[in-house]
Parts: sequence; structure tokens; C-alpha cells
Amino acid sequence: MKKVTDAFTHWELLQIEKPARYMGGEVNQAEIKTNPELRVCLVFPDLYELGMSNLALKIFYETLNQNPRIMAERAFSPWVDMEDLLRRRNLPLFSLETGTPLSEFDMILVTLPYEMTFTNILNILELSRIGLLWNERKSGPMIIAGGPSASNPLPVSLFMDAVAIGDGEEMIVEICETVLAAKKSGATRSETRKALTRLEGLWVPEFPGPVRRRVFKEFSASRPPLKPVIPNVQAIHNRAALEIFRGCIKGCRFCNAGYYYRPKRERPVEDLVKYSLELLNNTGEEALGLLSLSTSDYCRLPELVKLLDQQKLYAEQNISIPSMRMNENTLALLENSKHIRKGGLTFAPEAGTQKLRDIINKNICEEDIISVVKTTGSSDYRTLKLYFMMGLPFETDADVEGIAELVLKIEGICRTLKPRKQVSISLSGFVPKPFTPFQWSPQASMEELKQKRIVVRQRLQNSNSKISWREEYLCLLESVLSRGDEKVSHLILAAFKNGCKFDGWNEHFKQSAWEKAFTDCGLDPAAYTRQISISEKLPWDFVDFQVPRAFLEKEYRDAARIAGVEDL
Amino acid sequence: MNETVEIKARVTYEKTRQARYIAHLDTIDIICKALRRLQLPYQVTGGCHVRPKISFGAPLPLGHASYCEQFVLSLDKEINAEYLKERLNQQLPQGMKVLAVEIPAGKEPKGNNGDLVKYRFEFSDAGTVNRTLDFLKNPDTEFSLVSKGKVKTFRLGGAVQSLKSDRLTIEAEFMQGCEDVPSVSKIVTALAEYLGEARDHLTLIERISLKKL
Repeated sequence: MKKVTDAFTHWELLQIEKPARYMGGEVNQAEIKTNPELRVCLVFPDLYELGMSNLALKIFYETLNQNPRIMAERAFSPWVDMEDLLRRRNLPLFSLETGTPLSEFDMILVTLPYEMTFTNILNILELSRIGLLWNERKSGPMIIAGGPSASNPLPVSLFMDAVAIGDGEEMIVEICETVLAAKKSGATRSETRKALTRLEGLWVPEFPGPVRRRVFKEFSASRPPLKPVIPNVQAIHNRAALEIFRGCIKGCRFCNAGYYYRPKRERPVEDLVKYSLELLNNTGEEALGLLSLSTSDYCRLPELVKLLDQQKLYAEQNISIPSMRMNENTLALLENSKHIRKGGLTFAPEAGTQKLRDIINKNICEEDIISVVKTTGSSDYRTLKLYFMMGLPFETDADVEGIAELVLKIEGICRTLKPRKQVSISLSGFVPKPFTPFQWSPQASMEELKQKRIVVRQRLQNSNSKISWREEYLCLLESVLSRGDEKVSHLILAAFKNGCKFDGWNEHFKQSAWEKAFTDCGLDPAAYTRQISISEKLPWDFVDFQVPRAFLEKEYRDAARIAGVEDL
Repeated sequence: MNETVEIKARVTYEKTRQARYIAHLDTIDIICKALRRLQLPYQVTGGCHVRPKISFGAPLPLGHASYCEQFVLSLDKEINAEYLKERLNQQLPQGMKVLAVEIPAGKEPKGNNGDLVKYRFEFSDAGTVNRTLDFLKNPDTEFSLVSKGKVKTFRLGGAVQSLKSDRLTIEAEFMQGCEDVPSVSKIVTALAEYLGEARDHLTLIERISLKKL
């Protein structure tokens, strides 16, 4: 396709929301190479504003475009208005950099950040006029997906030529080399896929076999992306993103990411200070985001923040720490740093009682929580957001009521603080995830989850806290999509054909279309949300996650023991 | 006691091609980031949210190209205008370009007497040029627009100060920012409605110059 501004009339572009989403040409966009040997399109299956905040996309874009033989471009899910325009004008989805239809690339690499984007991937393929099923595609780009939602690749097994499991830094280069060699040698699609099976971490649905999660061992010494594209439409996370460490050793028993990104690998403080300055110099972002699964668990965090405080490039520079644990490091930070962005504080106690926090291995106690809340006292923080899960394994009625009790306690402290804090709480149903100790656990039924939510809300009816919650059906669906087998791939296809897309967006989520898809496929959601026996073979057992199943089993039994349950 | 020196720099820039679809607030954000990347000696605002001390004119309507957008930046010390222009131009997205930098910025006329804005309209069809001229040249032209659920009626009145055309372009001078005179943005919206499907023949809307009155 030509430039977007040439392909559509001015009036058509004015009809769509934020047309700059589709224009490209941002600062730090990669230089356009003439005749690269391999053309790759990095696809994020959600809006531009979300995708431009995605760290994986930044890593891959910078890594691939440093290679003189490869040109990597970007494409995002078009919002529904742009999709309508494309369909009305019979135009395919195109890349931002050169306006090239996605079908003309050698390879499409799809990031799978969360399960609710699965139908968007199919929408992107359809808009690009690329066959949805790998075994029906005779030509066109190889479609390869990766990301935390692909840790169990079976739900996307009908669609992908290959699925990357684990850290992508090294894999992405190897994948490109393999596809490039296959392209040069004139290999068939099947031969290319066969060649991909030889890469560690790559699972190919045509040749299913065991696969080992890839770990990027050189992470600590590696250079993060330091010249990311500056979005022309404000991104959801408006900050310069610096990943200070990967992995987490806390071992929360419900957390897939905690296991997916193991082992914990920290970048040295000295390097991070150097990278920070380069990153801010290249982006001009106001905030430097220190990213990780739980930033306050970085061993030398106070030292890092102190050094960053001392090295300011511009007056308005500040530090944003999005994931904090309620612990001593956080306390030290809150007390000492002047330059941490003081918008709101977000914490995830997850459970309302100590017993349940011990069961899920959350490793924080009520004193920690109270201390952190008290420490926010004289600071400029105005809001305190708390995340809780309901329906956790071995949860009792007292645990559900405990959520409300803890919130009331925190609210009481906040009332005594000046400036006052607004407390908001977010409730979500527990979703059992593969490769976690709770992968065998059942999910509470929608009715049970709803009932628990009602209990918490009733207990908090006189409270000033803002309460939000995730719809129960979304929790159920996420369980099915996470713990799914090959049949779930057919379910996703059926849901897409029933009109599902943007499932993570309330205004577009179509529960009835998903329910119909379950019926069409003869599937019962309960089969995926049930208690799985420890002795059962799991659909995703072919993935060596580098966390022994015996360890997960022991963790599960330990949790049960705290709950006083002996038989699992 | 040290007095803070404030030197104002007026930056005139163009916003054309794909950049004309970047919204006003995003444009401000892009320029602030560019200033930070250059680590210029700019002054910052007070208050909780510190930002470069910078003032922009009225927002350019989305989709309008412009060769006369401006902002005024407060600096701690004087810097070379040509140097600033060159450096800024290395930091802007495609379609945005600094055309001139004036340091110190000349004084603006006092009071709010409105602006004289010159526009160029490009067409792909001569018939639509004539219909557009019919619409613009009559001061009695009336149109209604809906804003926040309320219908408001406007009259062109003295909004169009001059008109010049050839086969496929019209150059028009508009008054705006004065009482009882509709803005160019409203006039263009009404014109598009008046043209109906023929609006697709109006292919480019460009702001050529802006003069404070």
C-alpha cells in the first residue's frame, strides 16, 4: 500500500479515532532499508497505545533493526473504526513504517501478552488476507508467536507456524537466521518449520514434540533497548522503560510470570545508571520506569535510586516504579527519594488474611502492609490502589471477609494521614495458570465468585473506597484459554467467526458469542476450570519449563498443608 | 539577590503530511520530549507537575496542515537561533519541521483582537471549487453545528476576508478569534457538510500564514 495519507481520503481519516495511530514516522523509527534480505513485521495484537508500551516489542525492534540484513516494521490491531474502513475500502492491514501489507513480509512475529488478545490475532490475519490456519497457508509469511500467554502453546496451535517459549532475545535472531537460510535455499514451508524445531524454545505444531523453555542467560550483561520509538499518540505507559531485572524468586504460587521468567537475573547498578542516562537522552521522557516483576525486590534498589536522583538530565525528570512489594525496600524508597513519581501507589496484597497469604506464598504480613501505608503519610501520594484475588485455592469465607476487613483497616489509617489518601480496590477471580503450583487447582464457579464479590462489597458498603472488579465470565474464559488443549484452538476460531475481538475491552466483549462458540465446539468450560488430579497427565506436560513438576507438586502440597488439607 | 533572566524564543514550525493527524496535546508532548532530549536551558513551570515553560497558540484542527504553527519557549539564557532550529529539526517526527526561530521573541500585539489566517484548499475537481466559492463568498451563508448535544447556528459574516482561486485551488483569508465570527474549523466542518459526497474532492486543507491583529 502507498502511504496511509494517500490511500485514504482526508475525510475518511477524520472519521477514525486518533488517525496518528496508523501513520508511523515517529522519532527513533528505524531507517528504511532498501532490499533487506529478510522483512519481518512485529505484530502486537492490541491498540497502538498499548503496543508501544510493550517492552518485548522495543527489544525485538531494536535488536532486529541493528542487523543490516533485516528490516523489522510494526503493526498493531486497528481499532474497530479503522477496521471498518479497511474492509469498506477492501484494503489489507499494513505496516506503519512502509505501509506494506502484512502478507508481503517474510515473517510475522506476534507478541502474546495476555490471553484476551487471541481473537485479535485472527482478526489481524484475516485483515491481512493471510490464512488463519498454519496447515492451510501455502505461501506468505511464517507466523510465529511468543510471550507469557504462549507458555502453554496448545490454544494457538491451529494458527501458528511456530511458538517461541521463554526469553526471546536470542531466539529471535536464530529464528530470523533460520527463516532467511530457508528462504535462500528455496525450502518449502514444511521444511522451514522442520528447521525451526531445531531451535531451543521453539515448538512447531506440525512436528509436535518436547520443547524446553528458553532462558536468556546473558540477560544481566545484555544491553536493553535504549533508543525506542517515541509514539506520536500518548502511550498507555508514558515513560522510558528500563528493565532492571528479570525473573522473580518470591515464588507466589498463583503467578505464571514468576515461573515463566525464572531465574532472577539482575542488571548491575552501574550499568543501569549508564543506561538510564542514555535512555532519557534518547527519549526525553519525563519518567524513567524501573521495570521488573517486582521492582522493590531489586537487591540494590535504594542505591540505584539514590544514584539516579543525583544524575538528572532535566528538571522534570522523575522515577516511576510500577511494581512494588509491601516490604522494607519500598519503605526506604518512600522515605528517601524525592524524585519518585508521586501519582498513585499500587500494591497487590492479593489476599485478606495472613493464612491465605501464606497459602499463596505472598511473603508479606499485615504489619508490612500497615507500615507501608503509614509511611505514605506525609508524601504526595494521593491514591492507594490494592489488588485482591477471590476464589484462591483453599480460600474460606473468613478469607473473603478478610479482604474487606483489611481494606477497612487501611482506610482507617488513611483517614489519619495528611494529605488524605483515596483507597481503591480491584477484585478479580483467581485463574489457575499452567506451570505454577496451583495449575491443578479448580477455579471457583462464576456463581461462587459473584457471591464472594457481593460479600466484599456488602462489608464495604459504608466505606469510601472505590471498588472495581473483573467480570466473572472473563475470569472463566481466561482459565479456559490458559489451561487449554488443542480443542481450545478450535474454540478461539469459532469465537472469532462469531464476531469476537478485543475481548479485553468491556465495550467489545461478547459473552454470548463465546458461549455459542463453546456450544459449536461441543466444549464445556467446566472441563477446563475443574480440579485436576496431581496424578493426571497435563496437556502442557511436553513443555520443559525448567521448573521440575515435582517442585510444583511439592509447593502445591505445602500450600494444602497450611490450609490443613492432606489429600489432593 | 539574583534575578532570574527569562529569554523568550518564538519557534515557527510546519505540521504537514502525516503529522497533521497528530492531535494538539500529543504535539505538545512531542515538542516537550524533543526539548528534553536536547537538554536546552529552558525554564520550567512551577506546581506539582513540572513541565517546560512553553506557550502554544490555539490548537490546529486535526487534519489541517500548517506552515505557521508557533510556540514560545522561556529560556534561562540566550542561545543561537539557527543552532536551536537545526537541533530541533533532528528531533521531530516526520511531517514536523521548524521553519524559523526568533530569539528574543518579538512582542505580540496587545489585547485579543483576533487573527488573520490564510488558508489554501486543494481540490481534485473544478466543480467543487466553484461550489466552495459559492459557500465562502456569501457573508449571509448560515450553517448549524451540533456541539455537546446543542444545535448552534452561525453566519459567515465577515469571517472570509479575501478569496483567490484558480482551477483547483482556493486561497482564503479568514478572521478568527473575534466575537460573532465562526472559527475556520467550524467553517470547514460546515463546508464539508454543504459539499456532501463532493467533499472527497477537497483533498488538502493548509494553513499558510497567521497574523495577530
